[in-house]
Amino acid sequence: MTSTDAYKGPAIELIEVAKHYGKTMVLDGVNLDIAPGEFIALLGPSGCGKSTLLKLIAGLDELSAGEIHIAGRLANYLKPSDRDVAMVFQNYALYPHMTVAENLGFPLKMGGVDRDVVRGKVEAAASLLQLSAQLDRFPDQLSGGQRQRVALGRAIVREPYVFLMDEPLSNLDALLRVEMRTELVRLHKRVGRTTIYVTHDQVEAMTMANRIVLMKSGVIQQVGTPAEIYAMPANIFVATFVGSPPMNLFSGRIENEGGRLLFRGPFELAVPPGFTPGPVTIGIRPEHVALCNGGEKSSLAAMIDAVERVGPDSYLRTTTAQGIALTARVEGSAKAREGDQIAVRFPLAHLRLFDAAGNRVPMGEES
Amino acid sequence: MVATIQLDAAQHARKRVRSRRQREFARHLALGLIAFILVAPFYYVLLASLKDSTEIFSYPPKLLPIPLYLGNYRDLLWDTGFLRWMFNTLFVATSVTVIKVFLDSMAGFALAKIDFTGKRIVFMLMLILLMVPIGALIVPLWSLVSTLGLINTYLALILPPLANPLGAILMRQFILGLPRDLENAARLDGLSEFAIYWRIVLPLIKPGLVVLAVITFTDQFMSFTWPLIATTSDELQVLTVGIAALRAHGGANYGLWSASAIMSLVPIGIFFFVLQRQFLARSLAGALKQ
Repeated sequence: MTSTDAYKGPAIELIEVAKHYGKTMVLDGVNLDIAPGEFIALLGPSGCGKSTLLKLIAGLDELSAGEIHIAGRLANYLKPSDRDVAMVFQNYALYPHMTVAENLGFPLKMGGVDRDVVRGKVEAAASLLQLSAQLDRFPDQLSGGQRQRVALGRAIVREPYVFLMDEPLSNLDALLRVEMRTELVRLHKRVGRTTIYVTHDQVEAMTMANRIVLMKSGVIQQVGTPAEIYAMPANIFVATFVGSPPMNLFSGRIENEGGRLLFRGPFELAVPPGFTPGPVTIGIRPEHVALCNGGEKSSLAAMIDAVERVGPDSYLRTTTAQGIALTARVEGSAKAREGDQIAVRFPLAHLRLFDAAGNRVPMGEES
Repeated sequence: MVATIQLDAAQHARKRVRSRRQREFARHLALGLIAFILVAPFYYVLLASLKDSTEIFSYPPKLLPIPLYLGNYRDLLWDTGFLRWMFNTLFVATSVTVIKVFLDSMAGFALAKIDFTGKRIVFMLMLILLMVPIGALIVPLWSLVSTLGLINTYLALILPPLANPLGAILMRQFILGLPRDLENAARLDGLSEFAIYWRIVLPLIKPGLVVLAVITFTDQFMSFTWPLIATTSDELQVLTVGIAALRAHGGANYGLWSASAIMSLVPIGIFFFVLQRQFLARSLAGALKQ
């Protein structure tokens, strides 16, 4: 048990964390609390600052402003090795001139741990990660998955307070990635340590994390559970970044017609009172787009441009009569064909409304 | 019909084999010629070193040293300062090589991986220094060494070559190729900057270190101008200077000169032999493995 185990507050607390290189702002006022034992995914496109944030937490880069607290201790001026964190790097960062056993035991050896204890911990980690047969091999004699496991093992043997993982699965092939994803989640449950996982892959974030921190241009866009992020995106960026295919969006205006509020765009829709008239965007996920017979005021005529069959589901890529691209998810067995004319409607409960600045405005859907 | 086709095929196959053999023969002939051009002068010197001075210019020249004459080697080893020159050369070249590889790899590490104020300027100055010809440096260098009272000391031979920036630049390029995450991993493992250099970087740039060692050692082994200027004492003469003096003062003794040339190649041959396996093995490992 480490001294940090007794601490009961947030495992990591980021207060107004900022990082800039010259005039280039990479992180701007990041605030975040991470609970002990939580699996947090930092998700965002390339260059959004998620890896920089991880390096700042690890102490591998210097803050421009703000505070980082790890287990209640201000960590701004602590050396990386004094922060009680372990990191798994994207390219594994294994020492090529050391065997697997030496790689696993190196952090402990440097910490002055007794040789017998090191051996015991290395063997335990190797057994946990199914690396016992590879202990005498060098990294270049291992497969990608094995290297990845060694990198993980090197973090595990240290028994850190926080695990930091920087896109650890991105160098693996698709099949192995799925396998390792499950393995990582299992490992997290078993070890129970706080984990911050950087990824640009939304599927990884959605399937592994307790909470997702979605970032863009150095600013946190939304923090929430995968379900919250998917169902209630904070803004248009989140709505389009999470979900594949992304949310369908329609631009229009809210107008006041004799005391009734109406959305006027490619289709017309009565909206609940309380909205300020003006330009807005309405969004709906492809799986919520309903096929109908047409003729209704809020329905849209569309022509199928392509049918993407992905097994249990099919995605209809369509263009509405107004020339707007729209994707609808239907059952895999649906008999839709390219060139077919269809009509679609949008159930009010699944519509998301975004204001002119792109931020979601509640439509009563949270209740 | 079938028999005719088979005959044609056999003729074609024979023709192909003949033409391939001709090409092979021409290639080997060319290679043999090049090898002869490269080896002949060396063999001539070796031959001359094993002949009596009256035999060297006998006509027709003998291609084998019969009778074998070892007097040149005996004279070289016992009647001249050859062994002393050899010791001086090896001592200076080894000292410079060891110190330079250590210092240059550290400087390369700093230039490649550590952020410090004025790094770009330092690197630019090093590049500029590389372009200054040795001739322009000799007089100020001699003046400096003389002021420090180092003339006629080993330090006069060892210190100035250490200031050559080529090694540090070479090491910087090698170290730049190492992934940044390796040092970051080492930092998280609790290593100091020096420990990162010593335990992580050095083992990974062995091929670079060998290249630098070979360049430095051979450069020092062949160095003539500076040792000639920096030392006047017979006790501190290096091989190149000693052999030149032998020619200047010992009369036209071609056998002795040839023996000195052959003997001076022995240590450098051993040096290459020892390092070549390491050099080739590491280079190939780097080239073939990800």
